[in-house]
Amino acid sequence: MKDSDPYILASMAGEKAVKERGITSLPIDPIQIARDLGITVIPKPAESKGVSGMLLRNGDEYGIAYATHIKNVGFQHFSVAHELGHFLLPGHVDAVLGSSHVHESRAGFTSGERFEMEADHFAAGFLMPKSLFVPAMRSAGDGLSAIESLKTRCSTSLTATAIRFTQCTLDPMAIVVSTGVQIDYCFMSKALKEVDGIDWIRKRAYLPKNSATYAFNQDSDRVQCSEKAEDTSDLQDWFGGPHRIEIMEEVIGLGSYGKTLTVLTASNLPDPEDVEEEDQLIDSWTPRFR
Amino acid sequence: MNPSSSTTQIFADRLRAARELRQLKQDELAKRAGFQASAISHFETGTRKPSFENLRRLADALQVTTDYLLGRVDDPTGLSGADTLHRHFNLLTSDDREIAESFLKMLADKARGRTKTGE
Repeated sequence: MKDSDPYILASMAGEKAVKERGITSLPIDPIQIARDLGITVIPKPAESKGVSGMLLRNGDEYGIAYATHIKNVGFQHFSVAHELGHFLLPGHVDAVLGSSHVHESRAGFTSGERFEMEADHFAAGFLMPKSLFVPAMRSAGDGLSAIESLKTRCSTSLTATAIRFTQCTLDPMAIVVSTGVQIDYCFMSKALKEVDGIDWIRKRAYLPKNSATYAFNQDSDRVQCSEKAEDTSDLQDWFGGPHRIEIMEEVIGLGSYGKTLTVLTASNLPDPEDVEEEDQLIDSWTPRFR
Repeated sequence: MNPSSSTTQIFADRLRAARELRQLKQDELAKRAGFQASAISHFETGTRKPSFENLRRLADALQVTTDYLLGRVDDPTGLSGADTLHRHFNLLTSDDREIAESFLKMLADKARGRTKTGE
């Protein structure tokens, strides 16, 4: 599988912005850093839904308004960091303002627009820079519990932390965000992408019917109440490929967000040489009709 | 015409004009604004696009406004007039529109205050 991250420069710009400020510990407070940059930051009223954040400019004065209707500091931090991305990333001047003075965003890896995706990746690198995040990962363990622990450590949302985890881990794993029977998006770790014959999961693809996530999503109350479930699953059911490999499937409802996060961890991947030997063995015993 | 390349060219031209107005060499401006020496040349040839933060640093170092560097006003210290809003403004909820409008007004007052005190 081809492995290239088109947004790596945006992530690195986020990490650089933190490093330049001499920040050496987590969590990173994007609101304070925005204010240090001379940007006026205000929360939108809690009853106001709509966009997650707005970057505004009048003359040489800049402002960020961020949504608070989702009572989640991690979500709010991500929204502000996303707008900081628009402020600090080169080339966003034309893209976000055009001929105007307000830019509104829907942060959170759901927009397909290039500049919005760049701002999301900037935010991830900014709030979870590798230099601080990777050492924290080492003591956090693996799977969903590690992601939850890092979320608390970084004051970030569970989803953003999970995505960053897949970008930084050396283990074969993936995270899937789904609604009902459909997959919204999936992020795979580098090690998982390298497994022979693995396919990308496409947006709006259907969840495997025999998965714990499929069963979990049948009951919307479980999603709303942030319940959890876990089971073993099969790599082939999710990603195709020539081999059936048992993986761990951990599921958690994302509450009022109405979506479900699934963490798939493949800790028992067979060695490629063993797979080749097994294939040869099966091949040798397969009758041929000549 | 590609509006993006047009904006980039306007910025490049305005940056050079403002630098010459203040009688600064590229490396002198770079030092004042906290950039590497080659950065100003890259901005002026359009090979590097600025961020908002870059624009503000350049505007401060040159004592001109961001609006001038963006080609919105012809007076180097002028601010553009009534705000026009985002091209997707119609997609915002009415709440968000009100928030944006009152926030912009607050920023305008702040900008005027800054101009008066000569900051």
